[in-house]
Amino acid sequence: MEAIISVRNLVNRFGKQVVHDGLSLDVQQDEILGVVGGSGTGKSVLMRSILGLQKPTSGTITVLGQKIEYHKPGPSCCWGVLFQGGALLSGLTVQENVELPIALNSNMPVETRHELASLKLLMTGLSLSVADKYPSELSGGMRKRVSLARALAVEPKILFLDEPTAGLDPIAATEFDELITYLHDNLDLTIMMITHDVDSLFGVCDRIAVLVDGGVVVGTVDEILGSDHPWIKHYFGVPRAQRARAAAGGSRRE
Amino acid sequence: MIFSREMTNSFLSVEDGQDRLLVSVRGNWTFPNVLVLEDATASVMPRTGQAVTFQCAGLENIDIAGAWVLYDRTQQLSELGNKSELTGFRAAHFKFLRNIIDAAAIREYEEPQVRPERPKVLRGTVENLGRATSTHIEDLGQIARSILDGVRRPSLIMIGETIKQVYQTGVQAIPVVVVITFLIGIVTANQAAGQLEKFGASVLVVDLVSISITREMGVLLAAIMVAGRSGSAFAAALGVMKLNEEVDAMRVLGLNPNQMLIIPRIVGLVIALPVLTIFADFAGIAGGALIAVGSMGISGLQFVERVVYSTDLVDFYVGLSKAPVFALLIAAVGTLRGMQVKSSAEELGRKTTTAVVQSIFMIIVVDALFATLFSRLGI
Repeated sequence: MEAIISVRNLVNRFGKQVVHDGLSLDVQQDEILGVVGGSGTGKSVLMRSILGLQKPTSGTITVLGQKIEYHKPGPSCCWGVLFQGGALLSGLTVQENVELPIALNSNMPVETRHELASLKLLMTGLSLSVADKYPSELSGGMRKRVSLARALAVEPKILFLDEPTAGLDPIAATEFDELITYLHDNLDLTIMMITHDVDSLFGVCDRIAVLVDGGVVVGTVDEILGSDHPWIKHYFGVPRAQRARAAAGGSRRE
Repeated sequence: MIFSREMTNSFLSVEDGQDRLLVSVRGNWTFPNVLVLEDATASVMPRTGQAVTFQCAGLENIDIAGAWVLYDRTQQLSELGNKSELTGFRAAHFKFLRNIIDAAAIREYEEPQVRPERPKVLRGTVENLGRATSTHIEDLGQIARSILDGVRRPSLIMIGETIKQVYQTGVQAIPVVVVITFLIGIVTANQAAGQLEKFGASVLVVDLVSISITREMGVLLAAIMVAGRSGSAFAAALGVMKLNEEVDAMRVLGLNPNQMLIIPRIVGLVIALPVLTIFADFAGIAGGALIAVGSMGISGLQFVERVVYSTDLVDFYVGLSKAPVFALLIAAVGTLRGMQVKSSAEELGRKTTTAVVQSIFMIIVVDALFATLFSRLGI
């Protein structure tokens, strides 16, 4: 299998604080990779580096064969990003937010664009009554769905999710997990997901990347659970993680 | 020195067991009692070399503050050469204490790291300053370049946004600018009237008002008003967009936020401010007219004649020519400060303030430069 995202020797340093120290990571086609790590281990910094929003101290990043450079246009036709707070453009309506990437990446006539955007909204479990609302009029969970619809608007190959279930109630979070699994199974998506939600981690992810000691430990869920690293053992040893693991044991897709 | 080693209070009692001082701890070792607890633990005075055991089985409650007092005393005693230990903790209490001990361990671990750095403080500051300056220049260059690119190939979205900006910064500001310059016209005329009447030259009030308003006051007041209104709005709007990751989202979608957000605001304001200046000029002169006609016995026709006679079109253009420059300053400072917001709401407030203060400051400095330039050129 081919690596869709490849990070090589990534170093990120802020003053004296070294966040990434020669981190290398490959994300394979069609997998859901969960990224976990303690506070300050640079989960978001890693994602932002991959998206070209953060200038790494050194290292190279390639996405879909294209080298990523800081603040230079990336493969915007082929990736979608769900930021933590949704990051919908506040001056545009829900409909316009979802249409924007379609308009930017195609010459579709307005009607097609409109219909496609509506479809994505429906796909993410929203009713079309929200289409003409502004992001400020929506709840946090709805904003995330709209943001997901926008991320999916141009049929991306890669989906980046930054804590997709953070701030959602358990029902919404479970639905969101199911939605992601459903989309992944049906759309040939490669997903990279930062999450602290152990339920998502066990229920959704194929592989887990744990950021520790400035580097990364990657493996399947079982491999990571068998790891000897003290932080990893601690993380997956807490009761919350144990329960999630037990709950996911029967239902995890293989 | 002789004093009793046996002592008792509501928090602890001490029992001298020759080679070992037994301290029984009890009661509520909690935050409100910290001062008393410190006195109590300080009163535990073992002989040289005598070991101390704190028996904690009698504790009712302990919180982090209380645990800290206890832990701190054992550390002090250890430093004095008295071995000391804590025993008889209930599990729940012990957890609190562990937190303290861990915190203390971390603190001690960090200290040696900080010390060797001290001689380099100056160097570090200079290095940081240099790095910050070079990043700033780099950012500025990048923004300038993307703006030039954007102006060369404007997109439809940008044109729509520019029109919106002209409306918000220009059209909506007309009432307040008109009222303010009208009032300043009245004030100027009133002040001048008192002085010029002494020389029997009342009619010169008209000259004074119309020349000062068209050359200086009109454009200056409009610019300062707009700096307060729109400079802050630019900084705040862009700052919030940065905080909401909207700017990042735009980049990921393949849009250039520098183009999409900065150009419409700069172009919009460069169109809006000259128009506002024209309104301001007329309103200011109208204010002067009110005083001249109303309380100085100059007729309306006389006033108009005098304005036309005293004020050249050049005066009007001198004022108007400054408007686009001021507009550029206000929009550039406001948007750049907004884009500098990185992480916090507090920073947003600071940058907004800076945007307004800096743009007003720069308007006045540039105005002074213009004044010098025009007088050198004899305009």
